[in-house]
Amino acid sequence: MATDKELSDFLKSVEKRAWKRAVYAVRDEDAALDIVQDAMIRLAEKYADRPAAELPLLFQRIASNATMDWFRRQKVKNQVVRNFSDFEPAGGDGEFDILETLEALGSSLEHESAADSVSRAQILQMIDGEVAQLPARQREAFLLRYWEELDVAETAASMGCSEGSVKTHCSRAVHALAKALRAKGIGS
Amino acid sequence: MNTPTSTINGTAAREAIESRFARRIASRLTERVETAPPEIGERLRFAREKALVTARAARTNVELQGTGAQGSAVLGFSRSPWWPRLASVLPLAALVGGLVLIEDWQTRSQISVAAEVDAALLGDDLPINAYRDAGFAEYLKSQSGE
Repeated sequence: MATDKELSDFLKSVEKRAWKRAVYAVRDEDAALDIVQDAMIRLAEKYADRPAAELPLLFQRIASNATMDWFRRQKVKNQVVRNFSDFEPAGGDGEFDILETLEALGSSLEHESAADSVSRAQILQMIDGEVAQLPARQREAFLLRYWEELDVAETAASMGCSEGSVKTHCSRAVHALAKALRAKGIGS
Repeated sequence: MNTPTSTINGTAAREAIESRFARRIASRLTERVETAPPEIGERLRFAREKALVTARAARTNVELQGTGAQGSAVLGFSRSPWWPRLASVLPLAALVGGLVLIEDWQTRSQISVAAEVDAALLGDDLPINAYRDAGFAEYLKSQSGE
């Protein structure tokens, strides 16, 4: 059974990321706060007796459900279905050189003294904006897998899809981000 | 021409590159979210504290249920679900049983009184038909009047 401290530490470690993920989904900071609070209460109410190790996956699932509940309450179910479906760009990036972009992105972020007219804060804002523009399922897979650091199986369980779908969503998200950031002059 | 081995190696390398890139993006997102306005942090802290209060209440409920079950075990009652139902049915069964006994006692009492009257009438020197005679009834009235 997770102690008060364990639960508090866990919630503290995930709350801002959970809020941001909810913001990406509902595009409303206040609504996102309500969703995170709702998810925290649900976790505490129903799973307070679970071991601390089980909390991350439980919380991700509860947060996803709380977000879906918010959409239901807003009666925009049709929009949700549209947002959560897989609208992928035709074609794809093919042999797009992700390594080049990756290295350049790392360089531009880690060596601020380089002759770069774009400030670090602006770069972070750009990345934030590009993540927000990803298709919902791609973004959810990407954030769960790499931001929440769930493994592929846990991400699949949380999203209710196959592991193969998670890999596909993540790969497409990475390519879309790399392409968008390069188009904005980051990593070029 | 690509051999299967080179394809597998290529795929693994590609996945590794994607993973590195993704983790770097994720670390930038963390950096970004840490700059969220202070009021967001405050509201999240409030939500967290509310959740902790809820968790304490939930744990207390679980412990109370456990204590109740242990108490029943100490008294020799099992935790089987039929016991509470039996406990609620017992008073009703006692009431019904009591009513049946009262009814039986009243019936026996009425039979006993009737038997005593019959025995007195049959054991008397005067024949029963005498009580149906109007003249004899007048005689009894006059006797009681005196």
